[in-house]
Amino acid sequence: MNRKKFLNSMMTLGAVPALGFSRFEAIEEPEKVLTPKYLKNGDVIGITAPAGHIDHDEIQPAIQQMESWGFKIKVGSTIGKKDFTFGGTDIERANDFQQMIDDPDIDAIMCARGGYGMVRIIDRLNFTKFAKRPKWIIGFSDLTVLHSHLNKNFGIASIHSKMCNSFPDDWSKAEIIQIETINSIRQALSGDPMKYLLDAHPSNQLGKAEGVLVGGNLKTLETLSGTKSDISTAGKILFVEDTGEYLYSIDRMFWNLERTGKFSKLKGLIVGGFKLKKDDEGEDFGRSLYDIVLEKVKKYDFPVCFDFPVGHQKNNFALKCGIKHRLDVKEDAVSLKEISPSGN
Amino acid sequence: MVVLPPYLDRGDTIGIVCPAGYMPYEKAERCIQTLQSWGFKVRVGKTLGSNSTNYFSADDDERLNDFQEMLDDTEVKAILCGRGGYGIGRIIEKIRFKEFRKDPKCIIGFSDVTVLHAHIYSNYKIASLHAPMAAAFNEGENEYVQSIRWALTGTKGDYTAQAHAFNRTGAATGELVGGNLALLAHLVGTSSDIKTKNRILFIEDVGEYLYNVDRMLYQLKRNGKFEKLAGLIIGGFTDNKDTERPFGATVDEIIRDIFSEYDYPISFGFPVSHERENYALKIGVSYKLTVADESVTLTED
Repeated sequence: MNRKKFLNSMMTLGAVPALGFSRFEAIEEPEKVLTPKYLKNGDVIGITAPAGHIDHDEIQPAIQQMESWGFKIKVGSTIGKKDFTFGGTDIERANDFQQMIDDPDIDAIMCARGGYGMVRIIDRLNFTKFAKRPKWIIGFSDLTVLHSHLNKNFGIASIHSKMCNSFPDDWSKAEIIQIETINSIRQALSGDPMKYLLDAHPSNQLGKAEGVLVGGNLKTLETLSGTKSDISTAGKILFVEDTGEYLYSIDRMFWNLERTGKFSKLKGLIVGGFKLKKDDEGEDFGRSLYDIVLEKVKKYDFPVCFDFPVGHQKNNFALKCGIKHRLDVKEDAVSLKEISPSGN
Repeated sequence: MVVLPPYLDRGDTIGIVCPAGYMPYEKAERCIQTLQSWGFKVRVGKTLGSNSTNYFSADDDERLNDFQEMLDDTEVKAILCGRGGYGIGRIIEKIRFKEFRKDPKCIIGFSDVTVLHAHIYSNYKIASLHAPMAAAFNEGENEYVQSIRWALTGTKGDYTAQAHAFNRTGAATGELVGGNLALLAHLVGTSSDIKTKNRILFIEDVGEYLYNVDRMLYQLKRNGKFEKLAGLIIGGFTDNKDTERPFGATVDEIIRDIFSEYDYPISFGFPVSHERENYALKIGVSYKLTVADESVTLTED
């Protein structure tokens, strides 16, 4: 077995990461990257609701689909629980999540939906066991708290993607984009290197970058500012998306990134979908999303791409947070590719 | 030690600028007349009643220049921001405070102006005035509008507020810091971020989703901003919005729960807000907060 192959297998095995990880780190990668074990047939995915409330019937399409992929499903105690907007009280949600991250029989955890609530329990969670035996955690939006927290504190990779509430009820009637985005979760979980190709955008800033991918919901990232879950962007590729915000608010959030130094050592910026709230009558902001971003980042020379398929929208593909990627923003096209441990 | 800008005398000039959102001149007319009736001269900056067609009173450079001119003009003894909205965060790092530090003057406003208050207090230890702005004068010379006059001319603040079921009784003395919660949260980690240790913090907000109020409070809490407060003043949280699935707690309950683990005095429903009830408060100046069973007082030291 040559060295490349050996490293590759160490990464994908990952079950006893202590040795494999440290060797990998020493040889190739100065950045701390802990990759959870990829899933295989018969592995178990736990479903929990650490933020908003969700009913049992709302997660059935996700269960059926993931079972058809060959995985087993374990439904957490917070599914069907309700404390107003939340999937149970803070303690109930924290307990369910804690159990899932500590349960050796669960190989990955899908958050059933976002909403709001993760930040209320993040400091109650104990990641000691989990850091020794990390597993894939899947979600986006409010779960940006988890992605950022895990990357910042433990260097553990996680999957930013659609959740249970986005699986189509009837697979046979689903649009192609729905099927593709849901399938991208399977691809990410199974360990196939991720690759995204998209059209060029006239506002893109050209260039190439390599770095660990981090990011998520911009508003959530802003509200993590200064906390111990605050995103670290130095040497990394950052992606952001948001929904339901006014342009002025998006402008203020990008100023927050700039003024908290998040751009100063960034390698690349990926701007996903931004579903805008229409300006109030007579309050026309007078700048587009593109203007807002470019006026902050034009002084930097890192590549920037717009309209990346990530966000609160149909074309929201799975992204591996905490994993090294290569971003190539060219005049005619944009690509983002996971750099596999073998360096390919 | 915090520097208090000189108090104003009759005949002194107050400048009015709009460093954030657009404001038509007519909406500030009554304010101008009132300030004149108090014996002050008024200088109107280019950004009030401008010909802007979008959200802002003018573009960044024009807003910056207008504010900078007022800041550097030795004739101008205080600067009243015509209105808030959004926009100071876009120019704050370009404002030059060199002359202002040598010759401080009172900066007046609230809401988006929280950025200026926090920035000036944190970086230069100069006091400023969190107070109603031009539009508030259109409701007549009520006690809140008048509190600007007393603050500017040297009468020490001495305010009384009603008791509230969630208040935590006690007394505290400390420098007053605070303002609009969304802006305070937004400034965390920037060079305008405020320190809160041993200080009395006040917060207010308008038109926020309940979950977002909760989230912003968690941000400040996780930043350690609440641990060592001397005291806390909760102003108005008005026009709150809720999600389709209700949050399940009122804004007062959200706040009470966040602060339940601390033991400093807390006053709810204090008259500092986006509504009519909005007393002038001197940021950076030491106050004594007394929360008693029957009422609350906030007195300038």
